[in-house]
Amino acid sequence: MNEYLPLSGIRICDFSAVWAGQSATMYLADMGAECIKVENPFIWNPMTRAASPRLNAMTANFIPAWMGGHPGGEPGPRPWNNSPAFIHVLRNKKSFTVDSRRPEGLAIVQALIRISDVLAENLALGTLEKLGLDDAAIKAMRPDMVILHMPAFGRSGAYVEGRGYGSHIDAVAGSTILRGYPDSAPTTNAQIFAGDFWAGAHGAFAVLAALRHRRRTGEGQTIELAQVECSAQMFPQAALDAAWNGRESGTIGNRSMEGFIPNGVFPCAGVDRWIAISCRSDAEWRSLVAFLGRPAWAASPELGSVTGRAQHEDMIEDRLAEWTATREQDDLFHALQAAGVTAGPVLNNRDAANDPHLAATGAWKRLPATADYPETDFGVPACRFSRSDVGLRTAPALFGEHNDYVYRELLGLGDDEYERLKAAGHITDTYDANLIATA
Amino acid sequence: MLDLTSHIAGPYATKLLADLGARVIKLERPGGDRSRGLGPFLGDQPGVERSGTYQFLNTNKESVVADLKRPAARTVIERLVAKADLVVTSFAPATEERLGVDYNALRDIADVPVLSITNFGHGGPYRDYRLSETTLFAMGGEMFGHGLIGHEPLKLGGTAALLQSGAMAGIAAMGAIHAREAHGIGQHVEISLFDTQINSTDRRTASILAYRFSGRIQERAAGAGGGIAGGIYPVADGYVEVTASFGNYWQRFVEMVDDDALRDPKWLLPQTAMDPAAKEEADAIIYPWMLTHTRQEVWAEARRAHAMVAPLFTGTDIFEDRVFRERGLWVEVHHQLLGSFPMFGRPYVLEATPWRLRQPAPMLGEHTGAVLSELGFSSSDVATLRSEGAVA
Repeated sequence: MNEYLPLSGIRICDFSAVWAGQSATMYLADMGAECIKVENPFIWNPMTRAASPRLNAMTANFIPAWMGGHPGGEPGPRPWNNSPAFIHVLRNKKSFTVDSRRPEGLAIVQALIRISDVLAENLALGTLEKLGLDDAAIKAMRPDMVILHMPAFGRSGAYVEGRGYGSHIDAVAGSTILRGYPDSAPTTNAQIFAGDFWAGAHGAFAVLAALRHRRRTGEGQTIELAQVECSAQMFPQAALDAAWNGRESGTIGNRSMEGFIPNGVFPCAGVDRWIAISCRSDAEWRSLVAFLGRPAWAASPELGSVTGRAQHEDMIEDRLAEWTATREQDDLFHALQAAGVTAGPVLNNRDAANDPHLAATGAWKRLPATADYPETDFGVPACRFSRSDVGLRTAPALFGEHNDYVYRELLGLGDDEYERLKAAGHITDTYDANLIATA
Repeated sequence: MLDLTSHIAGPYATKLLADLGARVIKLERPGGDRSRGLGPFLGDQPGVERSGTYQFLNTNKESVVADLKRPAARTVIERLVAKADLVVTSFAPATEERLGVDYNALRDIADVPVLSITNFGHGGPYRDYRLSETTLFAMGGEMFGHGLIGHEPLKLGGTAALLQSGAMAGIAAMGAIHAREAHGIGQHVEISLFDTQINSTDRRTASILAYRFSGRIQERAAGAGGGIAGGIYPVADGYVEVTASFGNYWQRFVEMVDDDALRDPKWLLPQTAMDPAAKEEADAIIYPWMLTHTRQEVWAEARRAHAMVAPLFTGTDIFEDRVFRERGLWVEVHHQLLGSFPMFGRPYVLEATPWRLRQPAPMLGEHTGAVLSELGFSSSDVATLRSEGAVA
């Protein structure tokens, strides 16, 4: 059933990598675009299909769980088909292989471009240009193409040669300096990749807007999304406080820039269990005090207003932490919510996987086993459409899984030509053995 | 489109649409969207028109004040819905029903796409639960894995999680518009903030899948960085983020620091990366180099060598940065009450249909009269509605 898909009939020629680019095209694939990932078996694109094309169980176990947690702790011979970090951004997509650096491979890519509506990339600047696939060449092949470029720091200006992953983009976008422990220097800040999530969403949004314009006018266009400029807008309050009031913002830990007091993450009974609590209003504070049984430390009328609580924020946090530390996380969560206080458990990845609300609301879909992973529950897209079939329609694309479809059905190659390209190494379901050995 | 959202996530979704040209009519409750009370304030003076959060989130929108609790406001809603291509709401499920703006009630007015943004969706055990920026990231996002082991898990800066969820809602809104224009259908599109974070590509989707695959828990790190060089380093005037732990990245990093002692092949041996003594030896070279360079000097050398190194910018840096200025990250807003002030401009450059600031965020109820008149209410109708407190 592909009914009423918002982007039915739209095809994406997808050169995107890592998370920002690959998630942008995933959101478009979720909406029904046919997203065809162009994969080169002779090039290992870092952080795009796995940490490495050659991973043993011991190495995988050294890598943080989100990237190293392959099935059963054993990546197997094709880690690019079972990396928890990367295969989820390949849902609803198709994958085909081609060495675009060779003339016959480039011809295949060009043939795909001619029948595509969107071309997406976030490769190092100049990568496509080296193949002769600059914007002018793409538009010559497909005048109404929507081209999405997602450079880290822009395609013009002094920062064009900057290189970076999400953590470096987060740094320049002002994200990194705003998070961390208030009593520690930023040197202790651990990496996160908020910018990948953000830029991916905006890349998809911009393409959706451009496709609407194209549907109405027939006109394509080029989109440049400099990830750093986009991500800076995830922190408008800090930037505007600097721009308007000359005030520099640093980390406030887990406190609230919305003025909620208390607002923080407090320990619960057990090992490494935590609950987040926000009193979003004086009414929620009164509910909390009642729930606590009106202890002496909370009884002062001064604390009834947020300005009063601001004078005693450390004390409130300390007393609250002492109290929560003896309570069981899940009980406390439900009891506080029932009492009218905003609270939520800090769910680790296991808690989230087993969360009863997510299970009850259809957050997961069980996908059948492949040669590279067992039957597994995968997340479905966050947006639920009552009529359009937006959802997890097809499993993450295995490397080269759709070679037959792309070469034969889409591009109409005959058996001879198919076999010739296969013999030349273009058509395959594995990376080149040399590349695996040396990566 | 009719925008019934408030606070942060919903208004960000409709801002994305408004900034690319959609006509967004924002319905505000009497007294206004509560984001009008969020800082920073222009000149540090609080005021209903002076909120930076509101000014950022509501560019290019029109403001109509109506009190949905008053029956007289119903005709206003009905006429707005009948003319809309999309309705976006962000009420709690119980509130939606009480105010008569749940999907079924809106569907009775017109078969228009409705995007409803809720904390936890319209079903399930947490349906009516409260949520904040912090609890959203705690439950949905990868807070548990962010920070250092032995310390409490950490949130993101500002209101990042709510804004991220708003961006996801923007995609859902565009999907609903495409489905309507391509297939002629209205429908109910739901986004739960919790789900958007559970689906975050900032490791959460990955860590959940990793648990299902391997049973491994994503713990917080023991310290920043890894390998011989990596993590955040102090420099002369701040900090830089460094990735140099392996192969090619290490070589580019060495090219940046340009010290022959680091060119010894021993640094490339796999066992070196795990050796604390080797790290100490490398740090003895790296730290002095870092501390004698400014962030911009380090970044210039990094760009020359294509090293994975970048400075930690602050809000001031982002505002003052010459390259961002030249490229057009900032625009100047001309506000009839507040005068001129800077604002973030385009998050992306669309060649044919550019991001454009057509008008600043609206003053409270600025467009009530004009919109009601456009909807066919006579001036006496409007006067009556105003006197009844249905609009303002």
